[in-house]
Amino acid sequence: MMYLTLAWRNIWRNKRRSYITIASITFAVLLACVMRSLQLGSYERMIENAARFYTGYIQIHKNGYWNEKIIDNSFTYDDKLIKTVESTQGVVSAVPRVESFALAGYGSKTKGSLIIGIDPEKENTLTRVKEKIVKGNYLESGDKAAMIAEGLATYLNIGIGDTLVLIGQGYHGANAAGLYVVKGIMKFPVPEQNNQTVYIPIKEAQWFFAMDNMITSISLVVDKAKNVDKIVANISANVDTGQLEVMGWRDLMPDLVQGIEIDNISGRVMLGILYIVIGFGMFGTFLMMTAERMYEFGVMMSVGMKRYKMQLIIFLEMGMMTAIGVLMGVGISLPILIYYYNNPIFMSGESAAAIESFGIEAAYFFSLQPQLFYNQAWAILIMALILSIYPLYIIHKLKPVEAMREA
Amino acid sequence: MQNKMKYLITATILSLASLCFGQTAKEIIQRADDKMQGNSNKSLMRMTIVRPDWKREVTMKGWALGRKYSLILITAPARDKGSAFLKREKEMWNWQPSIDRVIKLPPSMMLQSWMGSDFTNDDLVKESSIVNDYTHSLGADTIINNLDCYKIILIPFPDAPVVWGKIIVYIDKTEYNQHLVYYYDEDDFLINTMVLSKLKNMGGRIIPTHLEMIPADEPQNKTVIEYLSMEFDLDLKDSFFSLQNMKRIR
Repeated sequence: MMYLTLAWRNIWRNKRRSYITIASITFAVLLACVMRSLQLGSYERMIENAARFYTGYIQIHKNGYWNEKIIDNSFTYDDKLIKTVESTQGVVSAVPRVESFALAGYGSKTKGSLIIGIDPEKENTLTRVKEKIVKGNYLESGDKAAMIAEGLATYLNIGIGDTLVLIGQGYHGANAAGLYVVKGIMKFPVPEQNNQTVYIPIKEAQWFFAMDNMITSISLVVDKAKNVDKIVANISANVDTGQLEVMGWRDLMPDLVQGIEIDNISGRVMLGILYIVIGFGMFGTFLMMTAERMYEFGVMMSVGMKRYKMQLIIFLEMGMMTAIGVLMGVGISLPILIYYYNNPIFMSGESAAAIESFGIEAAYFFSLQPQLFYNQAWAILIMALILSIYPLYIIHKLKPVEAMREA
Repeated sequence: MQNKMKYLITATILSLASLCFGQTAKEIIQRADDKMQGNSNKSLMRMTIVRPDWKREVTMKGWALGRKYSLILITAPARDKGSAFLKREKEMWNWQPSIDRVIKLPPSMMLQSWMGSDFTNDDLVKESSIVNDYTHSLGADTIINNLDCYKIILIPFPDAPVVWGKIIVYIDKTEYNQHLVYYYDEDDFLINTMVLSKLKNMGGRIIPTHLEMIPADEPQNKTVIEYLSMEFDLDLKDSFFSLQNMKRIR
């Protein structure tokens, strides 16, 4: 206890020196936290955009559909299945879809398009597609009509009230041909979606593709993204997995997951460089402190202070200053991150348009995952303790007379 | 006198022999092909597409004139009723009444499945080429369903627009009907097997009325075509096989 008191008093003996050390640690933690938060935040947003607003966190399809997305790999949508899925804990709603490709034509223009048969109300709970409408109205389940993406509509030169021709191949090669009045035009941020999507009510899609009562996928809205694995396991246990596959978003979007992993590695490299820079800054303050206190060390030792006791005190000083710095760093970054977490920074103008053309939202998002903070705190703490080997080593080698004379 | 008689007998035997054994493989194919086609024909067919967990029936009417023209009209199921396929020479057209459009099937679609069956669009268009696009040779005779059959091996000409590397056809010696056809690819792998059975008298000819096409790589799949009725040598003109008539015909 006495050592603790001694260490504490030592810290405040030279306030300015300690402030510099603490400040360098504080800024290190702050910088690392903000950078990491920004990065993790953008990943969370990417996953949310993809999973929350398109694929869903979990999807159910016929076995093999995800590898070979053809209409022949569809399955029967019956009440028993709906009940099983919807009664699983954590599932908010189950959204059925029929998805396949067909040609969309109007006048003399034709383009290959993704035809998505939707249950209009349920679909809206997942993808909020209603908000994407820029012209016309949202579909209703009884309509024999279509909603078409803006880019496709522009290409076909088709407007509200015009009749869209769809032609393609249905279930097991059946002839698929139909006419649909355009009821709404939607605008999607992702160009790929914006240039080829056609929505029709699911009943119409089932008729069009000649697949009564069958669907290609069920997308699930879940209460919490982190429960995905548990829900997947629960549903898998209750459905015939010989027939159906239940997949979480990591399996659904391996390209996104891998893209994030690659980016994450580059983020870690940057973080490593940041740590090195910060480390040298901290080392500088430790060096300064050791040099300044050389005389003191010499005197202490000459009056009979044991080396290991002095080392212990110095070590405690370092530990305390680092802890104070880390806590302050987290303390300062927390309100900043909370603010930006709730108010993401949206870009505007040309740079925003350039970023959006890659299919990415032009905004900075922040994350508030707790691991973010304690990871940084641990890293800096460990680094500070490693750096404190230097003063301990100096004391270990110290010769009192030389130390006093040099100082 | 006796010499003359001998000569006559020899001549008769020789000519009979040539009649019985002297026909070339090509003539046999030609004869079998003519028998199924006639100069022109009209038929009522039911096609059943069979998959392990699913099947579909399509009924249709067909008209054909020579090898160049044919027209197929779908009469059931209801969703496809009225759509028609027209073949004129080497071109193929599809009429879709539900969208009020005529679509010309491009060459790239020729190898795709016709209406989801195990037949390709090409099978419909180029049926007659088994006579003209192949060299024919006779193999050992075989007995199929108690009928003595010729085995004829067809190898396509190098420049023929044909997808098969080899076709083996079994044709019986009395009625000249095809009974079994094997389709091989260029590497001599079996791709499709067609089994023809249920001989019946239709339009004055004894013909097989039950055709099964079985893909070799998916033996649980098959497509069955049954002839419900068939008439031969009707008075059809090539003007019957027009785009206008394709839309009108019932």
